[in-house]
Amino acid sequence: MKPRKPHILRRICIISTLLLMVLGIIMLLGISVGSTGTNIKETLFSLMGVEKADTMLETIIWRIRLPRVFLATLVGAALSLGGLVFQALLRNPLAEPYILGISSGSGIGAILGILGGLSPFPGVSLAAFAGSMATLSLLLFMTSGKTMLKKNVLLLSGVMVNAFCAAFIMFLISITQDDRLHNIIFWLMGDLSMADLPQVWLLAAVVIPSAVLIFCLSNTMNLFLMGRELAQTMGVNIKFITATLLVATSIMVSATVAACGPIGFVGLVIPHLLRLIVGPDHRVLVPACLLGGSAYVVLCDILARTLPEQGEMPAGVITAMIGAPLFIILLKKSGS
Amino acid sequence: MLPRTLQLTAVAKRSALLGIFFFFSSLFALHGQQPAARTVTDELGRQMTVPGELKRVVSLAPSITEIIFALGKENLLKGVTRFSDFPPAAKKLPQVGSYVHLDLEKIVALKPDLCIGIKDGNPIAVVRKLEHLGIPVYAVDPRDLNAILETIVQVGALLGAEQKAHAIVSHMRARVGRVKSLVATSPRKPRVFFQIGVSPIVSAGTQTYIHELIVMAGGRNLAEGPIPYPRYSREQVLGLSPDVMIITSMARGASFERVKKQWSKWPSIPAVRNNRILLMDSNVCDRPTPRLIDGLERVAEAIHPDLYRKKP
Repeated sequence: MKPRKPHILRRICIISTLLLMVLGIIMLLGISVGSTGTNIKETLFSLMGVEKADTMLETIIWRIRLPRVFLATLVGAALSLGGLVFQALLRNPLAEPYILGISSGSGIGAILGILGGLSPFPGVSLAAFAGSMATLSLLLFMTSGKTMLKKNVLLLSGVMVNAFCAAFIMFLISITQDDRLHNIIFWLMGDLSMADLPQVWLLAAVVIPSAVLIFCLSNTMNLFLMGRELAQTMGVNIKFITATLLVATSIMVSATVAACGPIGFVGLVIPHLLRLIVGPDHRVLVPACLLGGSAYVVLCDILARTLPEQGEMPAGVITAMIGAPLFIILLKKSGS
Repeated sequence: MLPRTLQLTAVAKRSALLGIFFFFSSLFALHGQQPAARTVTDELGRQMTVPGELKRVVSLAPSITEIIFALGKENLLKGVTRFSDFPPAAKKLPQVGSYVHLDLEKIVALKPDLCIGIKDGNPIAVVRKLEHLGIPVYAVDPRDLNAILETIVQVGALLGAEQKAHAIVSHMRARVGRVKSLVATSPRKPRVFFQIGVSPIVSAGTQTYIHELIVMAGGRNLAEGPIPYPRYSREQVLGLSPDVMIITSMARGASFERVKKQWSKWPSIPAVRNNRILLMDSNVCDRPTPRLIDGLERVAEAIHPDLYRKKP
């Protein structure tokens, strides 16, 4: 085992550096591009502090685009890592935090918050967070005891919780008739446009510790893939590790959903894509997913901001529109 | 020597004083060119500081764009929202997203002194963000016709068009008065079903301009009630047996003729039997602008065609 360690460390470093460069370029692009035009040169100068752009552009770069790019980065990292963890835990390639109803749960929370007239932040965000935590507790309660070890029970319960929540969301939408409907629909489509820095720091405070914890457990996730029995014989406390990963991931994902609404398919597409490129070792996959997911969501947000001529569309629309066909292509390729 | 020095210092003093005087007077002159910033209170009671003379204004709703044009202050208008389609000149101005989904970056890039927004519609999160970025947002809240008149006066005062605003408002009042006195001559209160959506069928409850127009025009709004935009099934509309049906052109693409044809299958509805189904431009009955009075006159004519026919 010992001689392998520097090797894996080197791989982690190389892959992370490469992805970090990709992320850096995309983030720079994200800060340079907007509905008022593209200005990469001015942005670079402004970021490096070489030359002050005019105050209007400074405001747009630092106070509108930058928070938005940071938010997209965190959201992408959390969602794609969430997908990776759920796929490892449930040993099901279709698993994604959303499939367990976590996003629908927070959707109900958020809609009730909007209908109750709460302020968008922190009111609606807290309601969304409470909603997803309630769904998660319900799920854990339903599958508690021995059955929790059976992955299918957890997955199927999640699918049903999700279906129920989706129906409840439809019900709430159908009884809403005034202009709060706009707020609800924009929230459900996943919107990054309202990002501001305090919100970004708050999200970072949730996502970064969770990601570190998951990285520490990444070797254990490798053992999970060999099968639970084998993992248990190798001294892994399955129940404890499962619960820890599940809770850490859920908190991280609910925080992102609370911040910007459900943004789909990131957790499905990015881990699959990266698994094809870097292989199944979770010690490499965890940092790769963090960086790759960030880059994907920032890129999708750039498209969302610039593609439509009239105003912008929610980033969640783009992630799903690219994600679903990409996933089908990946499935076909890996099958053949 | 002593008196001379004294004299000299006196001269020096005097010239210094003169210098100070001229310095301050020139400051004053500059001051006179640029009126001081003023504090204004918007219709929600929020205070904000705006430049003495506004030069760049962004309107955050089509109705506000219309009011600014009506006040003749369109030269200040540097940006409007989507669907700001009246008057046609408004369509040529830069657009900053739709009123429910504003494009923050575009608004900032237009460098406005002030944005004028509407309480029901503009998301509070965007308004807060704009204020955070140092752009004041003056909010109007025209809930009913009287409030619309008030809003026109307020916006007129804000943009330095008080006289024009008062002229518009008194003209609107006069037209409302004419409609009211005309419909008062009829003892009947026809039952009106105002359809603003095709599928599902949606009407307008008590808390809408449409209800106010119907009541002022001497009709009875069959959809009155606490729900602002209640939904109806075909069966319920049959049960209400409206005397007059007014359908707005809100649903783009769905042609009025087709909707009218669908209703014509139900001759048990008095409005269908007597061919009292009418089309109206939705923009003149759901936008809080001076044009709402056009809407009022059209609704009155639809409800009481006999009174209007008698007129020369």
